[in-house]
Parts: sequence; C-alpha cells; structure tokens
Amino acid sequence: MAEIIQIVVLGLALGGVYALMGSGLSLVFGVMRIVNLAHPSLIMGGAYVAYWGFRLYGIDPLIMLPVAAVILAATGVILYKLFFEREARSAKYSEMTVLLTFAVAMILEGGLATAFTNTQRVTSPEYATDAFFIGSVFIPKGQLYAGIVSLVLIGGLALFLKFSRFGYAIRATTQNREAAELLGVNVNFVGLASFAIGVGLAGAAGTLVSFVFSFYPSKHWEWIAVLMSLVVLGGMGSILGTVVASFLLSVIAAFVGYYFGATWSTLTFYIALFVVLLVRPQGLFGEKPELA
Amino acid sequence: MVTTDNSQDIIAQRRAYNETLMQAQDKTRATWFPIALLALLILLPLLQLTGTNYNYVIHLTLYTMCYVVMASGWNILGGFAGYISLGHNVFFAVGGYVAGMLFARLGISTIILAPFAGLVCAALGYVIGLITLRVRGPSFIISSLALVMIFRIAFENWHFIGGAAGVALPANGLPVEWAKLPYYYAFLAMAAFALWASYKIKHSKFGMGLRAISVDEIKAESAGIDTRFYKVLAFALSAFFVGMAGAVWGEYLTYIRPNIFLVILISVNMVLMCILGGKGTVAGPAVGAILIIAFNEFFVATLGASTVNILATGVIMAIALIFFPLGLVGTLARHRKLPRILNWD
Repeated sequence: MAEIIQIVVLGLALGGVYALMGSGLSLVFGVMRIVNLAHPSLIMGGAYVAYWGFRLYGIDPLIMLPVAAVILAATGVILYKLFFEREARSAKYSEMTVLLTFAVAMILEGGLATAFTNTQRVTSPEYATDAFFIGSVFIPKGQLYAGIVSLVLIGGLALFLKFSRFGYAIRATTQNREAAELLGVNVNFVGLASFAIGVGLAGAAGTLVSFVFSFYPSKHWEWIAVLMSLVVLGGMGSILGTVVASFLLSVIAAFVGYYFGATWSTLTFYIALFVVLLVRPQGLFGEKPELA
Repeated sequence: MVTTDNSQDIIAQRRAYNETLMQAQDKTRATWFPIALLALLILLPLLQLTGTNYNYVIHLTLYTMCYVVMASGWNILGGFAGYISLGHNVFFAVGGYVAGMLFARLGISTIILAPFAGLVCAALGYVIGLITLRVRGPSFIISSLALVMIFRIAFENWHFIGGAAGVALPANGLPVEWAKLPYYYAFLAMAAFALWASYKIKHSKFGMGLRAISVDEIKAESAGIDTRFYKVLAFALSAFFVGMAGAVWGEYLTYIRPNIFLVILISVNMVLMCILGGKGTVAGPAVGAILIIAFNEFFVATLGASTVNILATGVIMAIALIFFPLGLVGTLARHRKLPRILNWD
C-alpha cells in the first residue's frame, strides 16, 4: 500500500511540471490553430536561461523564472512575426504550421547545440536533491516546488482568461475567430499576444525543467510526443484538459515505470497519444472534433 | 436529337484532341535525358580504373541515390496523397533490420533480400496505415512522430536484435576500390525503379485518385473513390520503397543500430527533399535529394559540425516552406519555365 501511495505521489509531483509544459502548447493551439512542434525546444531555451543564471551568478532557477518567461515571450513575438503571421491566410494553414514549427524546432536545436554543445546539463539548487518524508513516503522537494509553481502559474493563467477583458478576447478568438473579429476583437493582436504568452509559459516551464530533469538540446524530440500526448488527451486547446491529462498520464507512467522498468514509462505517453488520436481525437475536454 | 453516329463522331473528335494534347506534352519532355543520366551513372564506377581512388564520389552518388529511393517512396504518400508523415524512417529501420538480421543469420546478401524486406515493410505499412490514416492533417503528422518514438524504444530494448548496440554485419571481401560497387548498382537499380514506379503511379487511375484525395478528400470520396483503400495502399507502397533502401543501407554500413535508422533527421530529410524539389512531381524528390545532400556536404565540409548542419537544415526548410511551397520543380512548372530535361511527369 505504501508503495502505491509512493508511486502516485511521484507521478503527481511530475504531473505538475508536465502540466505547465503542456499548457502553453494548448493555449497556442486553441487560439492560433498552430500545432507548435517547436514548443519543447523553446522550453529548452528557458532551461538554458535558468542554467546560465545559476552557473554564472548562482541565481536560483525559481527566481530566474520570470526572466526566462520574458526572454522567451520576446522570442515568441519574433518567431510569430517571422513565420506565422503571413501564413494565417494559407488554405492548408494547420498542416503548414506543423512543418514550419518543425523547421523552427530544428533551427532552435541546432542553434542551442552550436552555442552550448550537446552536453547534458542540470541546475542543482539544494532543494533539487532533497526530499520531505511523510511516514515512509518521500516527496522530492524539487518536483514538489516545481509542481506548486506550475499550478500557481496555470491558475493565474486560468483566472486571467476567465476574468480579464483581454482574456475574454482570447477565449472568444478560440471559440470562433470570425465572430470575434466581427465583434471588434483585434484577432491578429490576440493571436500574437497568445503566442507570446504560450512561448513565455514554455520559458517558465524550462526553468522548472532545468532542475527536475537533465537536459541537452536534442532532447526536445523526446518531449514533443510526450507533450503532444498531454495536449491531445486533454483536448487540443483546453488548458484544464491538459492539466488533468498531465496528472493522469504521469501517474500511469509512474506505475508503468515501477512495474516494468524506467525505459517503458515514456512509452506510456506515446501509446496514449496513439490510442487517443484513434479512439477519441477530440480528447477528454475538446469540443470540436475538427481534427478528425 | 443526337444520333448514334453523331455521338461516335464526338468521341472520335475528343480522342483526336486528347491525342494532340498528349503529343504537345510529349514535345515538352526530353526522354533522352533520364536515359543518358542512367547510362552515365552506370559508367561512373569506371573512374576507379583510372588509378586514383574515387570512393568519395561513388559514396556520395550512392548516398544520393539511396535518398532518391526514399524520397520517391515518401512522395507517393506525402506528395500524391498529401499525407505528410514524419515517421517514415520507421520503415527504413524495419527494412534494414529484416534484411540485416537475415543476412547475419543466413548469409543471404541484402541486395537479394531487399524486395522481400520491402514487402515486409509494405505489410507493416498497410497495418499502420489502417490505424493512423483514420486521422488527417496535423493529427496524422503528430501520430507519425509518435510512431518513431515507439519504434525507437522497442528497438533499443529488444535483445534479439541487439538492443541499442545493434548488430555488426560482415563486410564483403572485395578490394577497397570495388567494395562499394554492389551496393552502388543496387541503389541505382532501386532509384531507377522508384522513379519509373512513381511515373507509372502518377499516370494511373490510382495516382489520379490520390491527387483527388490531396485536393479535397470529401469530394474525392463522393466522386466514388475508395479513399480509405487508396490512402492505405499509398502508405504501403511508400513503405515498400523506404524499406528496400533501408535493407541495402544496413549492409553497406556493415552494422545496424537504432540510432542510425531511427533518427529524426532521416525522416526530415525525406520530407525536405520532397518539399524543396517539389511535392507530387516525379523529378522533385530526385532534384531535392541532390540539393539537400550537396547542402549537407557543404555545411559539414566547411563548418565541420553536425549541429550547424541541423540549424542549416531548419533554415532551408523554413525558407522553402514560406517562399517555395511548391518546390523547385513545381514553381518552375507553374511559371512554365521548367527545363525540358526535368519534365519527368
């Protein structure tokens, strides 16, 4: 019994980080219909900001979080202006953007690897290797803090979307782009802003990743399918769905890892992605099965 | 009232008109060029007789032809039917492993085994296609990515086929200047076959159906095309070519290992060659293969780092997608400036 609780706790602790990694992706898809395959490599960018902050100046990754978010959001604006603005009118827009973001992912990977080499990196603040004990169940501090921070950020995002005026505009654009435009929403600016917010969230997630996982530029390929599985299971565009899917899948992955070995635990995400795409392409909370 | 004679006349007139159209199209085509190219490639290894060792030239030509086979195969699904797969290196790996394992156990050359390995891949592709072709657009692309990840984990942990360390294959006993030639001719034959096959497919009812699917699947379906069967068959055919290339590639490298076959760069290259050359054209994948391999060699030779190569590949891909979504052959053909020697359609 204690074992099972332990596995669930470890799964939930990682689930929080996954939730933040996935929510930016989900937001960008919801508003812009961009399947951002470059999202994990942008997370990698955030991780490098945290790494160099820690390495050079000894700044705690959690303090670097806003810095990384802002830097990455600025990157997001540049990427959007360069690549996606002109494509918005293309007929095969969604498919085109998948390939374009794929190209962006390669540019980022190549750029990061050229600048910082493919050495495995990790930031090591004290809490990263420490743990709380409740009875015989241990909770790794790093993952707990990361989980709390990401839930706070996602909560903030949800409140912003729910209650702010600009949040209304974003949700309206998600629901129906043309109708929102007719009602006077500047959909182009909403698109740009939500892309920047999504990429900024990737930067924030990167700082958490920097002490929860080890990372190197070409690792983002492993994350693409993992994050996609979260977003697809949750329902593309639904942030609540992404959060639920993150916790669900990461607990299942923890069980798989415990009973079958760590190599198979990532397989959980990939197989889940497959099964969801085929059985229920709209995911748990998605409303429009337009992808099918 | 239309009499029988009259309608016969109309049909005859239309046939004659079609005939003149065909002739006009034939005039824009230079059939001698592919034949001359083939002859040149057959004779190329004679360079070795001059005394200097031209192994590098042979290797690059062979490598290009390997990608011509793969990109032409990918083009059947990605170009004709419009289903972009980022996971076709799965079949490269399966072909390599099927032929490589049989070669290691039974000693039968992979060149003979290649069609068999291709058929195995086609069967696998048929099954995978039945599952993944139920979704389209971005979902299909994402599912193809997941496929690579699943196969990578499976291959790295399957001890029978050597796990992550892979299997070493015996090298052939030929002297060094002739050692590459069996593979060279195998790839040449496969590349010629792949291009011929994609010409034949493009001009068949099947190819027409695939093009209809790529333009508008729902209309194609309502026009009476069995879209599901067509798509799955296209998937299987493209897997066949990629698998054949993988089979011989394994023996050529003398070892098979997951991180040779199942790296994302290989499937990216296939996609990129087709996009750069021209998706859905016959000559496009070949032109794209030559361009990409020339770029890669240039970057690796001048800058000396594979990380820069990834960066450059990404930049080329982005530029191609934004400015030339039709590819070189497609863009030239649209502006009616396609040189006759490249009109293979």
